[in-house]
Amino acid sequence: MKKILEVRGLSGGYSPDRPVLHDVSFNVHANEIVGLIGLNGAGKSTTIKHVLGLMEPSKGTSRINGKTFQEEPEEYRGQLSYIPETPILYEELTLWEHLEMTAMAYGLEEQTFLARVRPLLAEFNMENKIKWFPGHFSKGMRQKVMILCAFLVEPELYIVDEPFVGLDPLGIHSFLELMEKFKQNGAGILMSTHILATAERHCDRFIILHEGKIALKGTLEELKHEIGNPAATLDEIYIYASRGKRP
Amino acid sequence: MMNFTKIWQRRKDQYFAIALRYFRLIGNSGFMLSLYILFVMGSFYYARILKQLPDNFPASWLLIAVYAYLLTKSPVRTFLKKGDLVFLLPVESRMKEYFRHSIRYTAVIQSFSIVFFFLALGPLFSRFITDNPIEMLLTLALLLTAKVWNIKTSWEEQRLPFDQTRRNYMVIRLAVNAVFLFLLFQKAYVFILAILAIMYVLSHFFFGFIKKMHGYKWEHLLEIENGLMMKLYRIANLFTDVPQLSQKVKPRKWLTAFSKVPYKQRHTFEGLYRKTFFRSNDYFGIYIRLVIIGGLFLFWFPSGWWHPILILLFLHATGVQLLPLYRHHRGNVWFELYPVKHEWRFEAFQKWLRFLLLIQAFLYVAFLFLIGGTWMIGGLSAGSALLFVWLFTAYYTKKQIMRVM
Repeated sequence: MKKILEVRGLSGGYSPDRPVLHDVSFNVHANEIVGLIGLNGAGKSTTIKHVLGLMEPSKGTSRINGKTFQEEPEEYRGQLSYIPETPILYEELTLWEHLEMTAMAYGLEEQTFLARVRPLLAEFNMENKIKWFPGHFSKGMRQKVMILCAFLVEPELYIVDEPFVGLDPLGIHSFLELMEKFKQNGAGILMSTHILATAERHCDRFIILHEGKIALKGTLEELKHEIGNPAATLDEIYIYASRGKRP
Repeated sequence: MMNFTKIWQRRKDQYFAIALRYFRLIGNSGFMLSLYILFVMGSFYYARILKQLPDNFPASWLLIAVYAYLLTKSPVRTFLKKGDLVFLLPVESRMKEYFRHSIRYTAVIQSFSIVFFFLALGPLFSRFITDNPIEMLLTLALLLTAKVWNIKTSWEEQRLPFDQTRRNYMVIRLAVNAVFLFLLFQKAYVFILAILAIMYVLSHFFFGFIKKMHGYKWEHLLEIENGLMMKLYRIANLFTDVPQLSQKVKPRKWLTAFSKVPYKQRHTFEGLYRKTFFRSNDYFGIYIRLVIIGGLFLFWFPSGWWHPILILLFLHATGVQLLPLYRHHRGNVWFELYPVKHEWRFEAFQKWLRFLLLIQAFLYVAFLFLIGGTWMIGGLSAGSALLFVWLFTAYYTKKQIMRVM
């Protein structure tokens, strides 16, 4: 299986003497969705920031297709798209201009952009809002703009941070469906979330972070085996990992 | 027991501390010198223009327009904060004490502006209306009375639930103010007494009903307070970085055509800077205002060596005012994440700034020829403006932006 993202011995944080992450290692392969789960403050967002190259590790590396951000910044960034936990939009741009600007920034051909954008807008019920400014968007719609921009690029790696909050049920359904589709087409997806029931159904593997370290990782079967309870749900495994209590 | 006077005082002190800090920054910046020079030259020519005005100049109409605006626009500084919607809402019935301070404070501050304009327009007033000192003092006193009336009634007006109805009441006030001012500048003091009586009745009955019928519109009051705060921030933002400045976006659809860029990765940020310039905050407004004010100065000043200097002064002012556009989207994670070269971003900004300054320079030079400037001055203006724009965008901009980034 092709490794897309490779994180090795990553330590880092907001100040050198108080690292948030301690020696974190994991991979994301092509054709898989990896769930990144953990309590508030476990280090999920910090991990994501390191993978995005927004923070520099004090030790260890994060490689996309073998290259680090320091080696090839534009190439590294061009292979991933990011769906942030809190939508970040340009208040000055309409929905259509957001999509166009994203396509331009990622170097998509204009024809490719136009061919991809209509079906995506239709899927998320946003076709009639392309001239709207973010000021008129609800939280869910803002989240949809982020999702549209990410899927528009069709990168090899998706970094998704808590995508479900604020989305309507139809939006969640469309999002999951597209994620499955791009996974089948060879993308790798790293998704952080607290919605464990959804994660359990859609993620191929899990990384459970606790206090900046990887507490458990593997497929659901492997996790069950590791804690010695073949009937455990992801909820129970999670609580075990973050409390140290056996279900 | 909550002490509203104390809360209000603390809020006012906080506001003063912020405002003082920003005023100090503004005072220390180089832009102040340009303003000062313009002020000195401006007052010199103001006196000259006054002398040249014909005797049938409609001074009283000008005065009515200025004061009708000043009187009708009477927003109350409440110093409310977002959190009050949760924490003070339950004690709404006792907020009267708090708001009384706000109204008194607003009255004092806005009276200052009435007095200021009275002094500034004094020469006009004494030449066309009256130069009797007693009448002048009486006029000022009546203007201040009208101001207080406007503040009180506009405060009650804000209780109305819809923008539309609030606007209707404001139009009533505007009409009353216009009639009042007309009579005042006609020195029809007997009629003034009558309209004062009408104003009294209006405030006690017409606007009094609103008070009985409607509660405070908290969100609307917050919006007003926010708007007033943003005014300070927007001015300060021209000189320094104001993180609290919230972005107000005006679509200005008719300008969208000018913000189109060719679909190419290299142009990613050009489109963004253009759209931000046209739609955000007030970059576009500042630009247009500076262009027009510069034009007026060119018009007022006698043709000669002043003209190229004025042009450079205004190009410099515009350039400095537009520099914050580069940092407008700072903190936006997409800027970092796009696989686009960092230099392209600076180039995009530089290109757009240069274009705007060249347009401004072109307008000035064309205007000089239009009002009959000589080839000599026109050519010199054009040459020095081109040199300035090139130096400003190629060197100064980069240095300034690197310094603050």
